[in-house]
Order: sequence, then C-alpha cells, then structure tokens
Amino acid sequence: MDPKLHQEMLKAISDKLTGVMQMYLDTCSRCGICASACHVYASVPEFENTPVYRAESIRKIYKKYFKLQGKLLPMIGEAVDIDDNTADMLKKTAYSCTGCRRCMVYCPFGIDTQQIMSIAKLLLIKAESEPEILSMLADVSISKGDSLDSVKENFLKGLKKIEADVVEKWKLEAGKVAIPTEVENADILYVALAGAHSIVPAAAIFNAAGENWTLSFFEAVNFGAFVGDPSKTKLILDRIINEAIRLKVKEVCICECGTAYRVMAQLSGDKPFKVSSITQVHARYIREGRIKLKPLPADVSVTYHDPCQIARNGGVIDEPRYIIGQIAKDYREMSPDPKTNWCCGGGGGLVALGDETIDFRMKSSKVKADQVKKSRAKILITACENCHTQLDNLNEHYKLGVEVKFLSSMVADALIK
Amino acid sequence: MSDSIKEDKTIDLKGLPCPMPVVKVNKGIKQVDVGQVLKAIASDPGALTDFPAWAKTSGNEILKTDQEGDDIIFYIKRLK
Ligand code: SF4
Ligand code: SF4
Repeated sequence: MDPKLHQEMLKAISDKLTGVMQMYLDTCSRCGICASACHVYASVPEFENTPVYRAESIRKIYKKYFKLQGKLLPMIGEAVDIDDNTADMLKKTAYSCTGCRRCMVYCPFGIDTQQIMSIAKLLLIKAESEPEILSMLADVSISKGDSLDSVKENFLKGLKKIEADVVEKWKLEAGKVAIPTEVENADILYVALAGAHSIVPAAAIFNAAGENWTLSFFEAVNFGAFVGDPSKTKLILDRIINEAIRLKVKEVCICECGTAYRVMAQLSGDKPFKVSSITQVHARYIREGRIKLKPLPADVSVTYHDPCQIARNGGVIDEPRYIIGQIAKDYREMSPDPKTNWCCGGGGGLVALGDETIDFRMKSSKVKADQVKKSRAKILITACENCHTQLDNLNEHYKLGVEVKFLSSMVADALIK
Repeated sequence: MSDSIKEDKTIDLKGLPCPMPVVKVNKGIKQVDVGQVLKAIASDPGALTDFPAWAKTSGNEILKTDQEGDDIIFYIKRLK
C-alpha cells in the first residue's frame, strides 16, 4: 500500500478518536444483543449483518495501531493491518449500515455503531473508494452555493411554474405572493428539497397559517453527511446558515428530510436562529389554531413510519402523532414504542445509490415490510424523502398494498378554508 | 430534435424523486461518447437549478434548455 495513503488513513482515524469514540471502541463485550436490533440482521440473519461485525472492522484496525496489545501482540487482540484490502472490506460494512442507531438503543453500553461507521466512511474517502454518486451529489450542492446568482435566476423560473399549484391548495389574498423568497426578517426560512412536492404543500400550509415566511434558494439534503465527508457536510450546511443569517430570519424550518434535519438541528453548533422540522411547525400551527384540518372518512386506516433521523435521533415523535390525530380516526402504531420502530432500510445514502442498492435494500428491510403489513393500514405516512422512496420500493416489492404519503401533503390536502 | 441540435440518446427523468434525476443524468452522459449529445427530459422544476450545477461540476455542457408544457428538456454535450 502507498505509505502516504497509509499515513493519511491513520491520521483520519486518530482525528476521530474522541473520548466517546474510544469508549465505543474499547467497551464492547460482544454480548450480541445489538444483532437482532438491526433490521439488516433481523431480515437476513448472517453474522456479517450484525452491528458488532461492522464495528469490529474498525475496532481491529484501532487495536492494531492505537492499543499497546495490538501493537505488540496483534494475533491475540485480533488486530488487523490497513492494507490494499481494507477499502473493499469497509465498503461492505459502512454501506450496509443505514445509520438508524436502533442498535444503540438496545446496547447495554449505548455503543453507537453508526458513529464507528463514520470512521469507515472517512477511510473510504481517503482511499477514493467512497460511492462516486454520493460525492457527485455533494459536489453539485456545493457548486450551487458557489454560484448563487446563476442559481437564483433558474430557481425563480422554476418557482413560477409551480405557483398556480400552491394557489390551488390555498387561495391567497390579493397582493400576496404564493412562494416568497429573499424576505428579510422573515419569521421562518423554509428549506425544501429540489422538488415541487417538497415546496407546494408546505407553501400552501405556510400561507394558510398566515406565516411570514421565505423559501431558501438551497435544497436541505446534505449529501456530504451521507458520504461521511465532514468538510463537504459543513460547506453544504453553511450555504443555508449564511442565507439565514443574511436574511436575519428567526427560525429555519427543515422540510421532510431526516438527514437534513438532524445535521441542521444537532450537528451545526450554535446558531442565531431556532431550528425546527416541518412536522413540528405544522403541529404548532394546529395547537395555536392557525390552521384547521378536515378529518378523513372514519374507515380510512393509517399508520406512520418514524424516520430514524427525525424520531429516534431527532426527538420528533409526539408531533406527527398529534397531527395525524387531527386527520385520521383509525390510526395504527407499528411498534409499542416509536423509539424502536424499524428503520425503512434506505438511510445512510442507500436510497440515493438507486439501482445499485435496490436488491440489498429490499432483502435487508423485510422486517419493515412485515411491520407495515401487520398494521393492515391503507395509508402509510412518513415525513422523510428518503424513507418515502424506500417505502414506495418496499410497497412494490412486497406487494404491501398501501398508499405511501408524505405527512405534509396530507396536511395540505386536509386544510379547511 | 430541437433546431439544429441532434441528440444521440434520450433519457426520460419525469416523475423521479430527489435526487434521481441528477443520478440518472450522470449515468446517462456516460452512455454517449465524448462530443455526443444527451437529451434529458425532466418534469420537476428543481432540475432547472440542479442540472446546470451538475454540468459545471461534472465538466459537461448544457447546449440548450427547452420547455414544452410541463416538460423541461436539456440538451447536454459530453465534454470528457
Ligand atoms: S450490544 Fe453493545 S456491547 Fe453487545 S455486542 Fe452489540 S455493541 Fe457490543
Ligand atoms: S445503525 Fe442501524 S443499520 Fe447500522 S448497525 Fe445499527 S441497527 Fe444496523
């Protein structure tokens, strides 16, 4: 192996070795409790699908280079070298983990396998072996931040095409703009995805609530986080933070995208604005009486899939249930405790890898499909783009016979004039 | 075909969820030779900002963008 690359990989591990990370790497007792907590192992019970197997791929390298026993007696501590095979081995472990952190809930030591996999993803980037698509998508996002003026022109052209759809959902008072942009001192900066479905229902609801809002020029999703590149993650995040600061907004509301919400809410340090998920904002509007919703017919059964990054990892659990309670009479929980709801199986960048991962995604998420089927609900609601795509794929693959819907679009369709 | 631009391959990206249009155009451009033209038909207005940014980072050139009803049509020349 190229000695320079070897050094760079060791440095990358060393930079990640915080006290917490060392605790994760040092304390695993190999009890195996995490195995059945992972949807991949629960669906395909093979040892290499366990969280502990994934973590060991990094732990063994850590032992070899950062622990005395591994340095002196590598054969005893099962320490392994970084060599030309390392990238191939890490690709399998890093990209079979969706980062759902369900295993962490069950582990007696709270070991966060997703965090350990962040080392694996970083090593893959150093070895230029990360999934090319994810890096490409991250670069596209960064490029938009670098050329805001040309982005603006096309972005506004795009908005013109969907204004009528917003007004169709909620009629505006004369003189009001359907999709406002560049509003200084707005109460909310809404950060959507690059898709009309992420803008139209949200805009109608903001307008119905009489919100003083403005739409961000940038899409919320952070492909830098999916690929596990901290510098790209920050560049993508900073585009939005700088826009929010420039416009002096009070609150940044993140659309239905789990990773975007978690990165903005938890991984971006101190900010001069509040961060909310769109689900939290909608729940607030209902509580404050700013919007009113018309319930579905009593015989329409619904269930809700908790996006891992919004619920288990983001704490937004009660709000979607409160909103659904206003719309549906027949609501069916998929698991006794929403914190242990199964991952959809599409996180961590797997959905964005499209056809490349579809076979793995379908096999590894059988437990999710079973959970949906068991609910016997007609409508499967979720609040994350990634989950929605994966659930749509599962619906088709396992013939679940449900209709997969975004929570925000259900709210928009239920608005009472 | 559009005016004088003749496409060598066409891909339909209509109705695809985020970020699939960019993922598929990135794949599609590799299926034409350098110098040839890919015609990509998208329906989501998000493509109007995504595709130019993708062309810039991937080193390809958008020769023309047409709008026909709800369709947004890009003619992209593979440069490398
Ligand atoms: S549950 Fe925790 S301690 Fe037990 S094997 Fe899994 S990661 Fe290790
Ligand atoms: S984070 Fe989720 S996918 Fe990854 S090992 Fe844990 S349970 Fe499995």
